[in-house]
Amino acid sequence: MDPLFIVGTLVALVAVSTLLGVVVRARTGRVRSDGQNVDTALTDPQAEFTLLQLSSPVCSACAAMRRISGQIASADAGVGHREIDVTEHPELVRDLGVLSTPTTLIVDRDGRVRSRIIGAAAAATVRDSLADARRSPVGAVA
Amino acid sequence: MSAASPAAGRPTGIDPRGPRFGASITSVLLLVVIGVGLATPLGTTIGERATEPAALLQLLLVALFAWGAFAGIARHPYGALFKALVAARLSPPRDREDPAAPTFAQGVGLLVTGTGLALHLAGVPYALVISASAAFVAAFLNAAFAYCLGCQLYVLLVRAGVLGRRTA
Repeated sequence: MDPLFIVGTLVALVAVSTLLGVVVRARTGRVRSDGQNVDTALTDPQAEFTLLQLSSPVCSACAAMRRISGQIASADAGVGHREIDVTEHPELVRDLGVLSTPTTLIVDRDGRVRSRIIGAAAAATVRDSLADARRSPVGAVA
Repeated sequence: MSAASPAAGRPTGIDPRGPRFGASITSVLLLVVIGVGLATPLGTTIGERATEPAALLQLLLVALFAWGAFAGIARHPYGALFKALVAARLSPPRDREDPAAPTFAQGVGLLVTGTGLALHLAGVPYALVISASAAFVAAFLNAAFAYCLGCQLYVLLVRAGVLGRRTA
């Protein structure tokens, strides 16, 4: 085969992979508003908002997110942190359209999902999302 | 009020930069498989196909993925190389990661490259090139962008009903 074609193929492969990486990175740690509901049994009954983290057993970013959510929950009495394994809740994963772990749902006392954070996010992103949830009236999704 | 989570409190883990270092070596080797595979016409006998350079290199990659998948990423030779050559020159890791995720990714790599090699031996044209390209995308994203294959693929398998407890 023409060496130029081979080199072109290799360069194209690296370029496409880089583009894919940039897209994946841009989508990580972003927040999306939500209007779905989850079973209140999954939430922290004492907290105003629960950071409900959906994790999988083979997930590096889940550990980073667990640390961040745990710290925020420890520092804020109105916030709880719960972590569930997607393997044990396949129906929840399908209903909510979760495509990757960690996905962290900000759930209010009534089980309404106010927003979701996809991937490991910065602590500031999580705090901002909680602040948005507190500001916005029940029913109106920020 | 942080609740005790099921997976919390794992004592130690590995330096997450170790598997990324390994993935960068794997990426380069996969590019060589693709380049050499494209340059070599498909052999007519299984013996020819088995001994062509791209197939031999792919066999090496299959063996390395199998090592990572079965012995665990922590016992992979790239890990020893990382410790000896790279880790000493870096600051200590900010986080440690559970070796389960990169070990899972090694298993996926084994499946993809192993299937490609088997199809190549069976005489399927471009089996090496296509399987090595698929593995390259994952390895490159891991090396360059810390992409975590387990974080995405595992959920998709749960959704497809391949993994997970059936509740319906």
